[in-house]
Amino acid sequence: MTPSDLLRVDGLTCRFGGLLAVDSLSFVLGQGQLMGLIGPNGAGKTTVFNLLAGAVRPTGGRVFYREHEITGKKAHRINRLGLARTFQNIRLFGELSALDNVLVGFHGHLQANFLSAILRLPGYVAAERQMLSRSAELLDLVGLGELKDERAGNLAYGQQRLLEIARALATRPSLLLLDEPAAGMNPQETAQLAVLVRRLRDELGLTILLIEHDMHFVMNLCETLVVLDHGKVIARGEPAAVRCDPGVIEAYLGVEVDLDACEAPGA
Amino acid sequence: MSRLSRWFDPGPLPAQSESRGRDSGLTVLGCLGAAALLWLIEAQGGGYVVHMTTLAGLFAVLAISYNLINGVTGQFSLEPNAFVACGAYVTALLTLSPAEKEMTFILEPLVWPFAVISLSLPVALVIAGLVTTLMAFVMGFPVFRVRGDYLAIVTLGFGEVIRVVANNAQSVTNGPLGLKGIPHLTNIWWAWGLAAVTLFVVMRLVNSSYGRALKAIREDEAAAEAMGINAFWHKMLAFTVSAFFEGVAGGLLGHLITTISPSLFTFFLTFNLLIIIVVGGLGSTTGAVLAAVLFTFGGEWLRVVEEPISFLGLDIPGIPGMRMVVFSLILMAFMIFARQGILGKHEFSWRWLLGLVRRRGGRA
Repeated sequence: MTPSDLLRVDGLTCRFGGLLAVDSLSFVLGQGQLMGLIGPNGAGKTTVFNLLAGAVRPTGGRVFYREHEITGKKAHRINRLGLARTFQNIRLFGELSALDNVLVGFHGHLQANFLSAILRLPGYVAAERQMLSRSAELLDLVGLGELKDERAGNLAYGQQRLLEIARALATRPSLLLLDEPAAGMNPQETAQLAVLVRRLRDELGLTILLIEHDMHFVMNLCETLVVLDHGKVIARGEPAAVRCDPGVIEAYLGVEVDLDACEAPGA
Repeated sequence: MSRLSRWFDPGPLPAQSESRGRDSGLTVLGCLGAAALLWLIEAQGGGYVVHMTTLAGLFAVLAISYNLINGVTGQFSLEPNAFVACGAYVTALLTLSPAEKEMTFILEPLVWPFAVISLSLPVALVIAGLVTTLMAFVMGFPVFRVRGDYLAIVTLGFGEVIRVVANNAQSVTNGPLGLKGIPHLTNIWWAWGLAAVTLFVVMRLVNSSYGRALKAIREDEAAAEAMGINAFWHKMLAFTVSAFFEGVAGGLLGHLITTISPSLFTFFLTFNLLIIIVVGGLGSTTGAVLAAVLFTFGGEWLRVVEEPISFLGLDIPGIPGMRMVVFSLILMAFMIFARQGILGKHEFSWRWLLGLVRRRGGRA
């Protein structure tokens, strides 16, 4: 593992009863990379995220984040090391306001203990005000500044996806796992999301791994792709190469196609 | 460096909201008003009303603390009768005089440390609160390994275990005979003073970053964990804080009714508290206080329906137990028409009240 590698996945395997959801998956994610994890439905993509983020314990294999081994560690500990995620089936704190959702993300970094929170000691008050202004900034960043007092459950679908990103950013990650961030968004929102994701990488120096079904979005945004099918890697590399990979086309379409068609740009 | 990366460094602090000064002023005024009301009740109300008001204060304490774990944190647990029992027994054993204890424990003598000591009420209450907290802490480890219905069943079991222990640990609890002759030290000020402290502490906790974390656990525990929140320790925090106040309230309860026995701390106590917090609005601390007061006095007001009534020339004889039938009907109506309870998940706030007054004023 070279110093610039942020995440190393080594033979990661996950078995649910008789189903092999992830089959000895290995990849390395370098600092500042923008990688896409794609594949047909049921390929095991979200399971990979669940394994990385500690929501599911792997059956085999190891995961290293920086110099730490995080295989099978608890979700909150992995998050505190700097790995944050969003959820495919949006899992916001529905009854809480948009602002409170983001504030919850900051809670893990709060130094003040609960007694100083109850007594409102200066240390806690300063931290609370700090968190408030940072959360407002994060909401502005994702374009939800106007909606900060809205109940999260009342937000539109696309806005909920953005709020999930803001909440994940509040935990101050170095590595961000985005699970289908563009799902349910209209083309305009998707374009804005692509700008946002690129800014997160370029301006905040985040490393991003994302799952997405919108191929246009993925092909334009990601520098490298890993393609999963039935829990196995069937292709990896740059988007242009992956797009023309016969195995990938077969996995998605299930039939042989005329490969010459790929030579036309924008196919 | 870009604008965005500012979020990692400490920036300028935002200004405090303007309405805070006004709200604190109104809260102080509200407290003074409540104190004046209590004083009036104590001076004019007569023994029975004073007793009921005191009891309402203790139920408010229990409801606020029970709501912290059940409503705010969303951990459906059924153990407060155990904590109240623990607090009541510990306080009573510490305040009773050695002579009184010797008379009470006729079957088996009381064990050593309790037999010789006699402490003042405040010290005994603090010790009782801490012992109950310790009990909750130890209990939390096995209990919070499960969630949802399972948590309810496990905590219910614990409540029963404590009752059975109280029944059988003769040399500590005097078994089914219970403890008699506990000095009547709890007055209206003790009860409502503790209610004020509980309300203050729990509101401060709920409105802090910790409170947001607790609500996040209620909304989606896995997502909260993924956001770096250690759900186990936060549940433990809510559980132990609620146990502390339930223990202290239990101690005061013992010194209000002066006789305690295991039959006092059955599941029905928990059940009543559950009704209170659901009627008040699960998750609403101020709603819990409101419902506790309504519940305590409501039961007494409903005695009217058990008296003989002459209605349209029809003489209806008093039916004992009619009270509970009417009470059940009211509860059913609540669950059908106002499932969210009186306040839902909202809290009483001055802004809301002032807005209401203004709207009414505008219409008049």
